Amino acid sequence: MKKKQNKKPEKDKSKELIEILKKHGAQVYEDLENGQFPKFSIPNRSISNIMYDKKLRQYILGTNTSLRSSRNTSQLRSFTQLLWLAFFANKLTHEKKSSTLRDVYYSSQAFAVDFEDQGESDNIIVDLEAVLSKPRENFFVFPEERSSIFGDLTIEYTIPGYEGKKQNLSTHPDGYAIGPSMTSAQLADTSAELVIAIEKGGLFTRFVEEQVDKKFKSIIINTGGQAPRSTRTLLKRLHEEMKLPVVILTDGDVYGEHIAMVIKSGSANAAHLRELTVPDAKWMGVWATDIDKYKLPTIPMTESDIKRCFDLQKDPRYQEGIWKKELEVFTKIKKKAELEAFSKYGLTNITDKYLPEKLELAKSL
Amino acid sequence: MSSKEQFNQISPSEFFYRNRDLAGFSNPTRSLYTAVREFVENSLDACDHSGVFPNIEMTIKAVNTEKPDPKQYILTVKDNGPGIPPKHVPLAFGTVLYGSKFGLKQARGMFGLGATMAILYGQITTNKPVKVKSNSDGKIRNDFEMLLDIQKNKPVILKKEEKPSSELGLSVSICLDGDYSKAGTKIRDYVYQTSLITPYATITFNDPKGEKFHHKAIIRSMPPAPTIIAPHPYGIDVETIRRMLVDTHYQIPNVDDKMIEKVRKELGMSKKKFSYNDIMKKTEKKWKSLTRPVRVVIALMSFLEADFEKLQRVRIEDVDLRNNKLVYWDYSTSQTLVSDMDVESPYYKQLANTVQGESLTHFLTKRFQRVGPTSAVEFCKFAKFKPESRVGNMTDQELVKLSDALQTYEGFRSPDPTCLAPLGAIPLEKGIERRFEPDFSAVVQRTASAYSGFPFVIEMGIAYGGNIESRGTTVYRFANRIPLLYDEGSDVVLKVVKDTDWNRYKVKNDSAPLIIVSHICSTRVPYKTVGKENVADRPEIEKELRLALQFLSRKLAGYMSKKGKAEMAKKRANLYSKYLPLIAQFCTELSGNKKEPKYEKMIKEETNIGEEANIEEKTE
Repeated sequence: MKKKQNKKPEKDKSKELIEILKKHGAQVYEDLENGQFPKFSIPNRSISNIMYDKKLRQYILGTNTSLRSSRNTSQLRSFTQLLWLAFFANKLTHEKKSSTLRDVYYSSQAFAVDFEDQGESDNIIVDLEAVLSKPRENFFVFPEERSSIFGDLTIEYTIPGYEGKKQNLSTHPDGYAIGPSMTSAQLADTSAELVIAIEKGGLFTRFVEEQVDKKFKSIIINTGGQAPRSTRTLLKRLHEEMKLPVVILTDGDVYGEHIAMVIKSGSANAAHLRELTVPDAKWMGVWATDIDKYKLPTIPMTESDIKRCFDLQKDPRYQEGIWKKELEVFTKIKKKAELEAFSKYGLTNITDKYLPEKLELAKSL
Repeated sequence: MSSKEQFNQISPSEFFYRNRDLAGFSNPTRSLYTAVREFVENSLDACDHSGVFPNIEMTIKAVNTEKPDPKQYILTVKDNGPGIPPKHVPLAFGTVLYGSKFGLKQARGMFGLGATMAILYGQITTNKPVKVKSNSDGKIRNDFEMLLDIQKNKPVILKKEEKPSSELGLSVSICLDGDYSKAGTKIRDYVYQTSLITPYATITFNDPKGEKFHHKAIIRSMPPAPTIIAPHPYGIDVETIRRMLVDTHYQIPNVDDKMIEKVRKELGMSKKKFSYNDIMKKTEKKWKSLTRPVRVVIALMSFLEADFEKLQRVRIEDVDLRNNKLVYWDYSTSQTLVSDMDVESPYYKQLANTVQGESLTHFLTKRFQRVGPTSAVEFCKFAKFKPESRVGNMTDQELVKLSDALQTYEGFRSPDPTCLAPLGAIPLEKGIERRFEPDFSAVVQRTASAYSGFPFVIEMGIAYGGNIESRGTTVYRFANRIPLLYDEGSDVVLKVVKDTDWNRYKVKNDSAPLIIVSHICSTRVPYKTVGKENVADRPEIEKELRLALQFLSRKLAGYMSKKGKAEMAKKRANLYSKYLPLIAQFCTELSGNKKEPKYEKMIKEETNIGEEANIEEKTE
């Protein structure tokens, strides 16, 4: 079964970004020319301006914006940093050169725009995301690669030197790193009908070995704990461009539940962005109720685990459905179980028994 | 029980010899420092009072440089003052409690006691004489070498020389046990601080290590010299009143040869023998020009019907106004005689007035400062005395009552400060500016106030930044132009400074380059100890100090906020010139323009704003 891409191609994305950047640059230029101090309007990212949008099913920013003016000497430095970053992002996007947060920090030093530490430069990067309403991956700033993908998916590279080259992602059993080239590639073709995101590398390998991709016609993605944003972007694209449903398998604890939630509805930290969520993604385990149901060996929760339970109970996204129910059970039993716990009943127990049952259940979720 | 207890009188020298700790000669370190102070202060006082710009050279030399401290040093202080007439030199330097400072006016030393103490200390520790070189007439210098006879409180002159010299001044040199390695810092501080509070003086110090500390005079004007004035009623006690009564011209004069000579002279009858009648006739003509004592003597003569010869043979024993009798002893007949006084005689009134003394109101207005006729009458009402009552007739109880009333009556005006010699705001500010070279300084001289009848004036200065290297608040304390270096812990000035919340005045207390100079001038500074190093916290003095410091702190706060603004503007301009070029560069590339926008004007404008703020600060 072939799926056709229907989203705008990556090339257009870059073009659009460059246009926006140019527009901002021209505005600053004009201000200076007129003897005026240029300024940026930045959506306010303070907690008071972050709210949950039920329609979008994610956190969004309110209408508050703060003005960063070059006239104000306490903002002059960060204004310059922000403009420099726009300039640098423009360069990266033009040249299709990927970089990391750390790269950005060091690159700044070549331009006499000093950042005190990486924390400061990271902050400015988020500011630019907010100004542009685009994730940093769009302007070629990527996270360190630690998540990977495996399955019958053909991609077409857009990065310099590989343009037009196609690659099927089922030829290497260790999987493929989800890096800049993957993120910017066109999704060409797939026979899969499902995406399974799994929290841990060990289980990812087991799934490849047990040919979960073939047995369940799926693309397997290792999120490596909390899913990096490029991975979340890829999940969203697989869902939207290839029309694949996304299911998520995590450890049986509050952190696992929240990893699934972030894939589904994003984080408050990224409330200024709209391209990182898969609102239809489903968390299929390990649930708190599974611990008893499958008689899984458990570990008692630590104090910080319990505190996390109570914190999440205040989150508006945990007020209904299995999210609410499972969280309440976790809070009650004060125990957790890892994905590996199934090994008690044989190494393939998870793929032979648990996975099929849960996939079946997920359809009704 | 011992009935053979010995009662001996000791001389003042002996008393101080036994109690030398009291005067600051407790150990070699302290003694060296105290000796320096006493001589330098005497020299400064001498120059001040004669209106000479002081030029003082002090030298300390070790007798044997090889020896470790404490050891013998020779201390020499030389000044350009008026010198001391040769006949007074032995007494001035060879007697304890001999001096010219017993009047009521501000001076550095109180009694001229310290210098003699230093000499005494030197003599005790080294058995070497003091060497004094004095030139008081600009022609001849008199050189003395003297020891002190401690038991007799008398000088012993070992050597006396005369040398022709035109240079006025006094030089005193003593040999004493001292510890310069320990006292050195204090002595240098003392010299430095003295130069700060005496900016019209040139002070040079040659230290034992061959180093020279030279503090040149920085102003050429001297503050007006203080005047000697009558006491204020608040500062009085019974004994003082009694002395004042005795010390009037209203006593019956002692009729001796000298007095008779005076009477003859005033009447113009010195040469020949005159009859009683001749004398009376002459008196009528000359009455108006006669002095009061002479008038009294003539009044006596009139009742005795005596000529000069007879007058020489009698001694007046009593003037009995109740019975109008004059009682006298006649030497020629060796018996007491009584003469009647004619109440109608014009001389009676003269005599009566004299014996009874002045009226109370007259006594108060004449003998005290700040008492006028009106307040004298008001006071009498308050104290329940008749205004016209005669002070000469007062009993002991009445004197006590008078003394108490004088101190409790609240109607007197505050003491007259003309007996004080504050440095003055301008010399103080100049001193501060030249010695510390601060960015900001301010001074204030408060109006005179008084505590227990003693007038005082507070002068204070504040200095901030510039070449001040110390961090935190440094306080220089002065009293009557003397630096106070020891015992700072319990001083009232430090208490007031410590109580100040500097944050309110935009000053970071622990790191600010801040200096406070405090000067208390008073006829009697209330020292806590005999060593005269810290001032007790009298509420009146504390209040004045507080007001002075608040005034200065507000000025400092004004400067600090201006300075803050100017610094801010400068900082702004710097920031703009750093970042605007970058902004221009980035936006040019980002927008795809070829040429950078013209932003230079914007930096210029901001820089100008900064400079304006700077100029404003300087002209202030």
